[in-house]
Amino acid sequence: MRYRWMDGRWWRQLPSQLVGVWRRSLQVRTVAITLLLTGIAILVTGIYMALSISNDLYQSRLDQALRDSSRATTSAQSTLNASDVSASDSGKNLLNSTLQTVQGATSSRLIAAYRVPGQDVSIPAPPDRASPGLNGVISDELRQQVQNGGTKQFYQSVALPAGNGTTDPGIVVGTQLTLPSFGHYELYIGYNLRDSENTLLFVQGTLLLAGFALILLIGAITWVIVRFAVQPIRVAAETSERLAAGDLAVRIPEHGEDVFASLARSFNGMADSLQSQINQLATLSQLQQRFVSDVSHELRTPLTTIRLAGDVIYDQRESFPPATERTAELLHTQIERFDRLLSDLLEISRYDAGSVALDPEPTNLVRLADDVVDELRTLAEQNGSELRLDAPGGYFDVGMDPRRIRRVVRNLIGNAIEHGDGKPVVVTVDSNESAVALTVRDYGIGMSQQEVNHVFDRFWRADPSRKRTIGGTGLGLAISLEDATLHSGWLQVWSAPGAGSCFRLTLPRVSGKEIASSPLPLPPTDAGATDAAATGAAATDAAVIDGGARVHGHAADEQFTDRGARA
Amino acid sequence: MNSRILVVDDDTALAEMIGIVLRTEGFDPVFCEDGALAVDIFRSSKPDLVLLDLMLPGLDGIEVCSRIRAESGTPVIMLTAKSDTADVVKGLESGADDYMVKPFNPKELVARIKTRLRPASTVPAAEQLRIGDLVVDVAGHEVKRGDARINLTPLEFDLLLALASKPQQVFTREMLLEQVWGYHYKADTRLVNVHVQRLRAKVEQDPDNPKIVMTVRGVGYRAGAVT
Repeated sequence: MRYRWMDGRWWRQLPSQLVGVWRRSLQVRTVAITLLLTGIAILVTGIYMALSISNDLYQSRLDQALRDSSRATTSAQSTLNASDVSASDSGKNLLNSTLQTVQGATSSRLIAAYRVPGQDVSIPAPPDRASPGLNGVISDELRQQVQNGGTKQFYQSVALPAGNGTTDPGIVVGTQLTLPSFGHYELYIGYNLRDSENTLLFVQGTLLLAGFALILLIGAITWVIVRFAVQPIRVAAETSERLAAGDLAVRIPEHGEDVFASLARSFNGMADSLQSQINQLATLSQLQQRFVSDVSHELRTPLTTIRLAGDVIYDQRESFPPATERTAELLHTQIERFDRLLSDLLEISRYDAGSVALDPEPTNLVRLADDVVDELRTLAEQNGSELRLDAPGGYFDVGMDPRRIRRVVRNLIGNAIEHGDGKPVVVTVDSNESAVALTVRDYGIGMSQQEVNHVFDRFWRADPSRKRTIGGTGLGLAISLEDATLHSGWLQVWSAPGAGSCFRLTLPRVSGKEIASSPLPLPPTDAGATDAAATGAAATDAAVIDGGARVHGHAADEQFTDRGARA
Repeated sequence: MNSRILVVDDDTALAEMIGIVLRTEGFDPVFCEDGALAVDIFRSSKPDLVLLDLMLPGLDGIEVCSRIRAESGTPVIMLTAKSDTADVVKGLESGADDYMVKPFNPKELVARIKTRLRPASTVPAAEQLRIGDLVVDVAGHEVKRGDARINLTPLEFDLLLALASKPQQVFTREMLLEQVWGYHYKADTRLVNVHVQRLRAKVEQDPDNPKIVMTVRGVGYRAGAVT
């Protein structure tokens, strides 16, 4: 079993994770900064306390040692002075007894006596004596000072050897003793400071512990306090999220009168206003939808009767006199036109109301194109245009609404046949990793830049006087554009006067996903292949417009370069 | 004998117009304006087919359709001004065999009526067909699971029969539209979807796990293996 910490990468992620936590959590930041500052304060205070205590301890111990030593020395000296010394007494005994007196007077067991050098060596003076603990401890500077100092006391901090190889801190105090008949001696008394040191260590340890505990406590208290402060903000953030997600009724409870309460009040006021506006808009949209559907029903029923009547009359037209026969024909075609117009209008108004629903099904675009081509083949033949389908790709099922896409393709091919001037109409289908596309290319009359800019407008016609053979409503491209946009797809056009037009429909392979690029090129690869002499600089007059971009308000030349407008 | 057709629509002008068209084609129309009276008139006039408008006074068209369907398998064609999927599906699910969106081409209306009224077109060689664990009696228009009879409308029976008569064949929705509904052009495949659902609800033991009418993803439907 592998644990996360066994994975070396965990270490590398740690710094960035910590930075992340730092940035995200107000509490962590506050507590960390508080801990840092209080830690510094406590550290400074603690160090100061430790130092002053240690100084104080040392000083008092030193004073005690000096006093002690002074007392002992004075007593020894006065004893010496008072004693009756004859030359015959052994100096050694005298020294011993002096040292014993000293030892009795002092609490220390570390005593040393050295004869001050440079004195009369002829007298048999008692030899130097030193307790084992003072061996090698007394420095030469101290001895120098004592030798030249007369009756003054001098001291020195030393390291006294302790039992197990370590050393204890100590003080050695030195004075001069005068042994009658034997001269001056340096008397050194050593004092062990180990117990002071132990006290000091104990105090330091306690301070340290107390300092840590204090820091932790302060950290904990800060955490709790910040939590209290952050809690209302967190509540506000969560409530905002719920509001944004669609729950319009959510509010922040208002307690008290502090700044958080006023935050809550403002938030609730905003939420109220949002809720009422959204509800208003929803109601309006519903009303409009109902209106559309009611109008639909109301208009269609009498129109059905009219249509049936028109058809019955049309079927019997041969039995009428010629004028009536012609009337019957006109009636028939205009009723059909009216019907188509009504359907298109209702469709457009549905888009405007936002009440359109896609019925996606897995659909093979090539098959769909093939079906529409078959449907319109007779029409193409009537116009003398060859209609053909090239499909290098796109043979798989893509989620789309087949009714709508069929309508789009029918519209594009119909337009191409109508404006094709009898030249071939080529339908191409292809795909890439993100999209599937269909282009309808005609080589007919084409459009100028001006016309291309308006081609997707509602009820706009390139040439109003042009004889309409297919009988469009003027809304075909507008509806096609809406259908393409519904699929998150593109509908774009390239055209050049005299060189024909190419309309390109691009749909995402995965519904709703953004298309990176279209599988088919626009302008088409044969865009320049026209009779340049006849039309003059056809390529520079080519205009490309992105219907989808216009609808969404982007600049038209965001995706294609506008190669100049015709003068 | 002329086929009798019940026309249920509250718009009198339209009803009359439809009547004229039907008479021209040799049908015998009967009229009803009110949804509440529709079911009674259905019972008393015993039509061969019903043209039913959805928006009716009295009783709603959907309700009328369910009631008629509960009593008989007479073909019902919905007439509606609404073409939204939700409305169409609701109508089909209540029992209609087909629907026409107003305004419609009268020739188309007549063609569909004739399709619904035609006798069983392709008479398969066998008299009894098996599909899944069902037995289809072709001549008797009966479907049985073991000894239990399953009630199907003529359309549902036609649909099942089409699948059962070619058990290896995968039928696309367009093929079914052509064969069962008699369409000869690209029409709305929602019809097929809804009717397959209805058929499954009647014949499948577990409609979520179909064994009689199998879906072939991306293509269409197929008869389940005989068990």
